[in-house]
Amino acid sequence: MKILVADDSRVMRQIVIRTLRQAGYDDHDIVEAEDGRDAYDKVRSESPDLVLSDWNMPNMTGLECLQALRGSGSSVPFGFVTSEGSAEMREKAADAGALFLIAKPFTADTFTEHLEGVLA
Amino acid sequence: MTVPTDSGERRRAGDRPPLVTELIDGATVQEITEQAWLALVGEDEVLVPLPAPMPADALSSWVEIVGPWTGSVVLTCGRDTALALTRALLREHAPEVLIKEEDVDDALGELANVVGGNVKAVLPGPSVLGLPETGSTPPPGREADTCRVDVLWRGEPLTVSVQSHAERENEVPL
Repeated sequence: MKILVADDSRVMRQIVIRTLRQAGYDDHDIVEAEDGRDAYDKVRSESPDLVLSDWNMPNMTGLECLQALRGSGSSVPFGFVTSEGSAEMREKAADAGALFLIAKPFTADTFTEHLEGVLA
Repeated sequence: MTVPTDSGERRRAGDRPPLVTELIDGATVQEITEQAWLALVGEDEVLVPLPAPMPADALSSWVEIVGPWTGSVVLTCGRDTALALTRALLREHAPEVLIKEEDVDDALGELANVVGGNVKAVLPGPSVLGLPETGSTPPPGREADTCRVDVLWRGEPLTVSVQSHAERENEVPL
């Protein structure tokens, strides 16, 4: 299984990857993307089984990336990991086809709760 | 029977942009910051609510919130503290000796981003959160429109300030 982690912060990508390991997903291949555009391209080239994406990124936001993927016919499972977890954003995420939205700060338990159905 | 005239004064007063002190208090800002520290910096990393003088070489990171209340969430600490925070966030990925300036900007910016995102969630919406920036400490906002928390992390000062811009462009005098 392959997980694409998209965040414009290298530090946050490391924290997400570390939390994935703490949540028990340490045998998955990890691919990193540094913004929404990079994530879009890497979904095409790497065919990940799951995308974990920040929302607020330069060049292309996570939401724009998800909308572009769905518009191009991709149904890759997609979840947000973002510092904003308002009801309004959760609704926007769900409407665009996201499976879940994990608000920062998060714990390994939060990851387990959202990912166990997706990566079973 | 006299018909009261409406001067419009009441509406204008009601339309006054809210002060951040009417929307969020220091205890909430501190709780948000503590949650970010426990999850990102480390589960044993406590923040002690005590003010202390900020060193001269202070560094800040901030995110802007634009909405019914517009301003910034500014995180400020000494440069050595910023380096220690970066090392704590990177953990095993931190280099043995020299930490790059871009990693410090990234780490401090991401802390401001997480705190700012959670502050935004408490403030009235709809509002937009900007991308994090790092640099010299921005000028303080108006005192009445600032909610500031002073803490110590590992004995070193750190402040989180939810503040209006130094000059409020959206304010219309009555």
